[in-house]
Amino acid sequence: MERQTIFEGRVLLAPLTAFLIALLGFPLVVDLVYSVSRVGFENIRAPEITGLGNYAKALADPEFWGAAWFSLRFGLIVASIQVVVGLILAIFLAPLFAARPWLIALLMLPMMVAPALVGLMYRLILHEFVGAVPYYLLEWYGDFPAFLGRQWVFTTLVVIETLQWTPFALLILHSAYAAISPDVREAASLDGATGLRLFLNVDLPLMLPAIGITAFIRFIDSFRVFDNLYTLVGSGAGGSTTSMSIYIYQAFFKVGDIGLAVAASMLLLAASFVVLWIINHFTARKVAT
Amino acid sequence: MTRLKSMLMGAAVFAAMGLPMAQAEVTVLGWPGGPEEAGLRKVAEAYNAKAAEADKVKLIFFNRDGFFDKLAADLAAGSTDFDVNLLATYALGRYAPFMEPLTLPASAKDTFSDKVLATMQYDGKQYGIPTDLSLHFMYYRSDLMEKLLSDAEWKKAYGEISQKYLGKTMEPKDPDSWTWEDWMATALFFTKSINKESPTRYGAVLQMKNLLFNMMVWHSAAKAQGGDWMDASGTITVDSPAYRTALEIYKKLYDEGASPKDSTTYEFAEANAAFGAGQAATMLQWNAAFADLDNKEKTPAVAGKIGTVAPPTGPAGRFTHIHGLGLGLNKASTHKDEAKKFLDWLATPEAMTIYALGGGSPALTETVVAGVVKERPDLKKLGEFAGSYGFVMTGGTAAKALQVYELQAKEFTAYWSGEKSLDEALAATKAGMTELLKP
Repeated sequence: MERQTIFEGRVLLAPLTAFLIALLGFPLVVDLVYSVSRVGFENIRAPEITGLGNYAKALADPEFWGAAWFSLRFGLIVASIQVVVGLILAIFLAPLFAARPWLIALLMLPMMVAPALVGLMYRLILHEFVGAVPYYLLEWYGDFPAFLGRQWVFTTLVVIETLQWTPFALLILHSAYAAISPDVREAASLDGATGLRLFLNVDLPLMLPAIGITAFIRFIDSFRVFDNLYTLVGSGAGGSTTSMSIYIYQAFFKVGDIGLAVAASMLLLAASFVVLWIINHFTARKVAT
Repeated sequence: MTRLKSMLMGAAVFAAMGLPMAQAEVTVLGWPGGPEEAGLRKVAEAYNAKAAEADKVKLIFFNRDGFFDKLAADLAAGSTDFDVNLLATYALGRYAPFMEPLTLPASAKDTFSDKVLATMQYDGKQYGIPTDLSLHFMYYRSDLMEKLLSDAEWKKAYGEISQKYLGKTMEPKDPDSWTWEDWMATALFFTKSINKESPTRYGAVLQMKNLLFNMMVWHSAAKAQGGDWMDASGTITVDSPAYRTALEIYKKLYDEGASPKDSTTYEFAEANAAFGAGQAATMLQWNAAFADLDNKEKTPAVAGKIGTVAPPTGPAGRFTHIHGLGLGLNKASTHKDEAKKFLDWLATPEAMTIYALGGGSPALTETVVAGVVKERPDLKKLGEFAGSYGFVMTGGTAAKALQVYELQAKEFTAYWSGEKSLDEALAATKAGMTELLKP
């Protein structure tokens, strides 16, 4: 009976497995071949296998590390801000959301806009001669910063990403906050916990898994930033806003060094696996204890 | 039943006979969404009206964003979805391995000058019919220049500002006889933060975004100083004094506040917005900007007050970068003979006249342009400037020319924005170009 169940399970899983092998396995094999080949647009259908040179080239390229650092810094800062702001909004607006749930839908609107359009929108909004922001700053204060200039561009990008994606953090954290049983809070209140103490000792520990997941998802999304960044400032003066995604795109399409681009993406994939393994390892250990 | 079978077989035979005929249609991949598309549609309409059924052309268009990247991927993959496709001078080397060289019909010489035909040549072979030409104009506010040349107070202030910022007392000149130094002095004079009396906020609007097209605009300054990518022996010469001077011109104007603060993120559209708002007195820009800027409905602040001349003169002469868009034959095409018929016709004065009147910007010989000059006066200047001042940097159509432009854009914008010193930027550019352009 057990053997038959296993067999049936395998049969039922077979189509999905075949689908995954076709859709993920095939590109992965092609990528692996390209990453160890000398390949450009001229010989894209007949790559010449040359070994691990592309990996060595990527690892020795200061621009690869510059892009990795940009993405890491951007991802960490943006994810942290979004989680903190999302958490504050989720808690302070909870009574409002309980009374008027439709407000949540309204706050989700920024997420509905395609990131590339967000980049183009800010290109207009921040332009000195057609944008509202420099216009009013000039009217009120007589000057305005060069939002997309060398000094301010990183801050501007962080603010734009935060404005668009904080609603996502808010949505998850609001759900987590709303899911805490009122009985738990009531019991803590009877023990004398109120205000900040109630939040730090009861709400926050119960929300930690949701906070962790939100931070992780937002970090991944911000780490691989491309669309809005590319349409807003491209790779920046001197390549100062080159994220990992832009580095890979440029190596592939602009430089035509497909082997290098694919090797860089494989390195990124390997790094992702390491991070996932570490997270999995610690999560499993925590569950075990 | 037998009758039904016979009918079905007959239909199948007819379908099989009809199939090659339907497939014989020539598919043309054009440059979308602008006057080039409008012109191409008119040309295709005229051609289809008289072409045999099997020779008729069908037009398809991608989106402009990432057009050349998508085209490169399609050509490399051996796509047969189009027979004729867009080409650009600076990408010729990239696409040449996937294109079929053309033998020009005799009529091509009547339609285009040798210089214009050369914009579609790579490695001694003709790869396309040049349909549009792009070059640069120095745009200026004619009302402001008129006053500058006649107002004694302004002239005095001009001399003082040039002395303070450029180290010599200069006199305002007519824009058509500007040197690059005259342009600098004018740009500084019309900058509000330097001259409180300036009616414009900035004297110039520079396109300094890390973008290959911005390098083409700036190249007119480099060439006028005597700069080139390489010398006759193939040695890279971008670290020459000429290149240094041209880079320093932009740096000086940007640092002195003569161009908007965000200029390091400006390209075609942003520069037009600044000039169109009436807040920049001069602008080195593509010829394609003129029609919209001079349109009273689109840019009322400056329309009717714009002058255009060729870029300023330098020690080596007066130059404007030129590049062409054109149509060439896909090597993987399955309808080469039919496609060649269309391309041959495209090179005739008749086809190019229709194209010009339809909105395109071809650089035509004097004889042909005379027929359209009434409707398209800008084409006369286009042809004249291309013939007198047009240049392409040595190596500008090489297989890796695009990568060279990308490299220069990255390094030179690093210098302009203060990320790197001039020496560092030039050393990195030279090293990169030596690698990219090695034989």
